[in-house]
Amino acid sequence: MVLLIKDEYPDKLFREDGKRLDGRDKKELRPIKMEVGVLKNADGSAYIEWGNNKIFAAVYGPREVHPHHLAKPDRGVLRVFYRMATYSVFDRKRPAPGRREKEISMIISDCLEPVLFLELYPGTSFEVFIEVIDADGGTRCASTTVAALALADAGVPMRSLVTSLALGIIDGELVVDLSGIEDKAGDADLPIAITWFNDEISLLQFDGKMDLSQFDEFLTLSKEFAKEIYEMQVATLKEKYLGIQENIEKENKNREDDSK
Amino acid sequence: MMDVKRVISKIERKYIKNNLKKEQRIDGRGLWDYRDFKITPGLIASAEGSADVLLGETRIITGLKYDVGTPFPDLPDEGVCTLMAELLPLASPLFEGGPPNNQSIELARVVDRGIRHADCVQTKKLCIKEKEAVYILFVDMYVINHSGNLIDCGGVSALTSLINAHIPEGRWTENGVEWTGKYLTGEDIVKELPLVMTYGKIDDIVFADPSLPEELVSDGRISISVTETQITSIQKSGGTTFSFDEIQMLAKKSMEIGKQLRKDLDLLQYKTKI
Repeated sequence: MVLLIKDEYPDKLFREDGKRLDGRDKKELRPIKMEVGVLKNADGSAYIEWGNNKIFAAVYGPREVHPHHLAKPDRGVLRVFYRMATYSVFDRKRPAPGRREKEISMIISDCLEPVLFLELYPGTSFEVFIEVIDADGGTRCASTTVAALALADAGVPMRSLVTSLALGIIDGELVVDLSGIEDKAGDADLPIAITWFNDEISLLQFDGKMDLSQFDEFLTLSKEFAKEIYEMQVATLKEKYLGIQENIEKENKNREDDSK
Repeated sequence: MMDVKRVISKIERKYIKNNLKKEQRIDGRGLWDYRDFKITPGLIASAEGSADVLLGETRIITGLKYDVGTPFPDLPDEGVCTLMAELLPLASPLFEGGPPNNQSIELARVVDRGIRHADCVQTKKLCIKEKEAVYILFVDMYVINHSGNLIDCGGVSALTSLINAHIPEGRWTENGVEWTGKYLTGEDIVKELPLVMTYGKIDDIVFADPSLPEELVSDGRISISVTETQITSIQKSGGTTFSFDEIQMLAKKSMEIGKQLRKDLDLLQYKTKI
């Protein structure tokens, strides 16, 4: 690719006033917006805007497994397809899925499986399609978070929701929720996901260097901030059902008025 | 929730057909009425132009990326614009993942031909240095929800992302191309605004903008692209035939509907202002 504007990173990732380049404190999340039931054809769906990340997730299932040989006689299978749109990144991505997308699909699938009751659905599959239409760091975490929402929206029995976020080290400082630039130019990146039914870790990767005391701090911080996102997930799901309830009440009232 | 079926029952087909005979549609529209368009430009920060277009519940998000490359030898002073369509499996249970299939290739090609032959993309202005450097535009359409008539929705989505484009302006120097600090936008890139209109046919009834159930029971369809004054591409598909009279009538109809849509949508308002 020959691009006229180069993809360059600044030397420093903190501003003079000690804040990060996008104006955040070290321990502050980007703005997050979630919505469920956004795609009419899917059994369940969700959309998330996490900073500049924009991601759709749709769930189909339980349904017949294609190709058939992937079906398991004693349990259902969960298949996750994480894909990025060609225009979601700085250099246009090739349309065919690459090694990175396949690896992340597997990571997310392994992360979500513990919360599902797959043993109750022998011979079937749940398919989760994740489409990143705009990317700006931390897409695997945002994807996991939005996929859990889509599964819940589809009414798939779950032990709990799953929440994921990334922490990292930039210019030697520990920060929460890396942005795209911080991810590329930073020193370390630690995506983590928590399954809330047992408060355990379901996704953990790390790239970079850290000492043991930093690792301890990472783990404590991750839980604190994941909780914040978890509450947003729950509120988003509740909002949908409150909306339905309101509509029914309104309809009932109209009907009563009509009959008078 | 899932009312998309691979096979439509005879009774449902009869219901749709009988309604059409009375010049009524199952969603309450008249034969030539379009569903509402809803357009959101520029929602993709990473793209050099984008559009989120809803036609009823059909939704296509298109993004534009660019590259600077060498021109084709037979067109040494013209930039290149390529269209691609991806039918995402999240959009419909009818779509499967994998390499492009016939349907996605048809969508991309019909939209592409409508735009290519319309003096729409100003390829001569997309040349930085003859024989050496031209822009290559990638217009990629992603179907997010399939609720019928992908072609018309894709046409508006692709055109709006071209209108919405802001491409860094290049200058030829001894060291290759350099950014001038300015951007190419709006009229630097597009001139004519071609719109594509698709009609479904069941038995001898023809109607505009087929919804998904109508599309599934249709015997065939025809897509006609028009500019303000000219027809720029036609694609007949599906296993049926159209009479000479029907085609003439549809060509005329397309000019009328096209004129009205072009006025109602006012796509040039989605230009990027820098």
